[in-house]
Amino acid sequence: MGERTAPRELVEPSGEDTEFVFFSGKGGVGKSTVSCATATWLADNGYETLLVTTDPAPNLSDIFGQQIGHDVTEIDDIERLSAIEIDPDTAAEEYRQETIEPMRELLDDEQLETVEEQLNSPCVEEIAAFDNFVDFMDSPAYDAVVFDTAPTGHTIRLMELPSDWNAELEKGGSTCIGPAASMEDRKAQYERAIDTLQDAERTSFAFVGKPEDSSIDEIERSADDLGELGIESQLLVVNGYLPETVCDDPFFEGKREDERTVIDRVESEFSEEAIATYPLQPGEITGIDLLSDVAGVIYDGAEATVNVGSTSETDAGSAIDFDSLADSDAVAEQLQPVDGTRYLFFTGKGGVGKSTVAATTATKLAESGYETLIVTTDPAAHLTDIFGETVGHEPTSVSQANLDAARIDQAQALEEYRTQVLDHVTEMYEDKDDTEIDVEAAISNVEEELESPCAEEMAALEKFVSYFEEDGYDVVVFDTAPTGHTLRLLELPSDWKGFMDLGSLTKGAAPENGDQYEEVIETMQNPEKSSFAFVMYPEYTPMMEAHRAAEDLKEQVGIETSLVVANYLLPEEYGDNDFFANRRAQQQQYLEEINDRFDAPMMLAPLRQDEPVGLAELHAFGDDLTGLSGVLKEQKGVTVS
Amino acid sequence: MNELTLYEEAMCCATGICGPDPDDELVAVSAALDQLEDEFDVEVTRANMQHDIDQFLETQRIYDLVQEHGPSILPITVLDGEIVAKSEYPSYDELTAELTRNRNQSQEA
Repeated sequence: MGERTAPRELVEPSGEDTEFVFFSGKGGVGKSTVSCATATWLADNGYETLLVTTDPAPNLSDIFGQQIGHDVTEIDDIERLSAIEIDPDTAAEEYRQETIEPMRELLDDEQLETVEEQLNSPCVEEIAAFDNFVDFMDSPAYDAVVFDTAPTGHTIRLMELPSDWNAELEKGGSTCIGPAASMEDRKAQYERAIDTLQDAERTSFAFVGKPEDSSIDEIERSADDLGELGIESQLLVVNGYLPETVCDDPFFEGKREDERTVIDRVESEFSEEAIATYPLQPGEITGIDLLSDVAGVIYDGAEATVNVGSTSETDAGSAIDFDSLADSDAVAEQLQPVDGTRYLFFTGKGGVGKSTVAATTATKLAESGYETLIVTTDPAAHLTDIFGETVGHEPTSVSQANLDAARIDQAQALEEYRTQVLDHVTEMYEDKDDTEIDVEAAISNVEEELESPCAEEMAALEKFVSYFEEDGYDVVVFDTAPTGHTLRLLELPSDWKGFMDLGSLTKGAAPENGDQYEEVIETMQNPEKSSFAFVMYPEYTPMMEAHRAAEDLKEQVGIETSLVVANYLLPEEYGDNDFFANRRAQQQQYLEEINDRFDAPMMLAPLRQDEPVGLAELHAFGDDLTGLSGVLKEQKGVTVS
Repeated sequence: MNELTLYEEAMCCATGICGPDPDDELVAVSAALDQLEDEFDVEVTRANMQHDIDQFLETQRIYDLVQEHGPSILPITVLDGEIVAKSEYPSYDELTAELTRNRNQSQEA
């Protein structure tokens, strides 16, 4: 493998111009660590380096041992390195205030509030997030700028629109992406930023993922998405593989072999890219020593140090006390229908095992006699893999009695939405006497408008809402899309409702969908009807991300978290050595913290050697999940009266 | 060349195709304006308060009207400096009539 230094060549500045490195990856895969390690390594190699983090739960302060915050701060212990932590929420708020400022002259407070509400849209948040990148993409004082997040294909497409839609803007029209006037001012800057992003000489896109198929699948999708926009991802860091020396029983040996298969797959599929791997550590990576170890492995081809440490500092003897943390009855109560259909939402970042937990819960509920529908809104849905049976766009039964499954197909949903809008417009013109109007031209205008990214969002929402109208189910389980997207999807109904109430979108008659959305929101807010379960594994970043998402859900949509699912708990019977004793102690610590942070019953799920596939395995897995057997037991009294 | 300017309320999408239901009125207005641009020698400008606040601040007459009556006075339609509609969108027929009148006047002159 003479390619060991390929990552170095990618990341190291080669010319006069500032070079940029973007790291993408889900929370909890070690993206911050790799970003910090890269920035530190660049500074150590003589480059003036700026590290920009937009992590909602930044831990740069822990890593570098100093307060950083919203301003560019020089790192005391590392020459040539500066860092800044950007809070995405604050940034969005700043953007909103800047847009509103000139209107203060003309509008009173109430009117301003109306505009402010409008600016509370997902698109505006994406623009604000992109601004974060743009602001630092003109940083001549630095040789290199390292970002611990990267814009997604979706965001970039959104930001490309100003140039595509130039004509539209010149006409004074506006787009659903927000304040055209303010975008116009920054258009040149956006265009430059996108040019730089597409320039492989100046910009490197790197992915960080775990050695798991789902993680790699997701990376491939994001990479394809960026590839379509002329951005090639060049570096892939597979982080957290099990070190060979610590796998001394069949359970972990098996797991290690599976990881090896994934890494082989990565090496064949990402042949163009540079690939680096870094092992799982017994504890959490903090401190500068570990950063230099990571950088050494990725950029200098060094061997990783795995310091198993001693278990003396932790109470290795104490097993996780499942019983005290998990209250089966409380969990079961959240899963069963009380007042009409019960809606269960499983949410969480990709790779936390959300789909499996959702499918297992649905299977168990169906076994107990509840008519159950499981729906995935995740574009990366793998319900077909989990059930081992085909799951299509429309609800169809799987072999388990009482159980139907469906998967929202994005393209099909979009087509349905387009048809619905076009039918509506056509009908509107049929009712009009105004025969002078060229209806065909008008309709083709509308068709063009439907090409926007917002239409996709609306299409998904329409489909999502339609499942609230499905009759004949006792329980509908949503295996929702990853958290950020879910929130957007879930927030949309109340956002749109807000728009409608304000009368600013529609001045005429009340839109027909308004009431329907109101009902959906009320259903979601009613703890007797809906349960929201956050799935995570007990580590710092996944916990913080889930907590933040739960807070957003509460603040923005008024929905309380009903359940917390802690997945991938290390089994007691395997991994009998210091390495896993340390990992277990760490999990225990976070389980307790999760229990403190979330005011909701906990569903505990063990790590399995293989993810369950097919109904028989889901059934068996269900017996290991807190509360699912309870559903079975109690159900007898309740059922089909 | 006639100049037709619409001063509109703060809104997300002037075309009306943004949201769960299309906004019928905005869809119709957008189509009508497009068609008028083809049929007459007219330049159409749409300014909505959210996206084009500058045009409200810089046009004294509009500024005064909005300040006095609030945004309910919108949309205001201005044809060659003359306000032809307030508080509601003029229909395609109304605009055609205005534009035809303008054309005839200029031919007579």
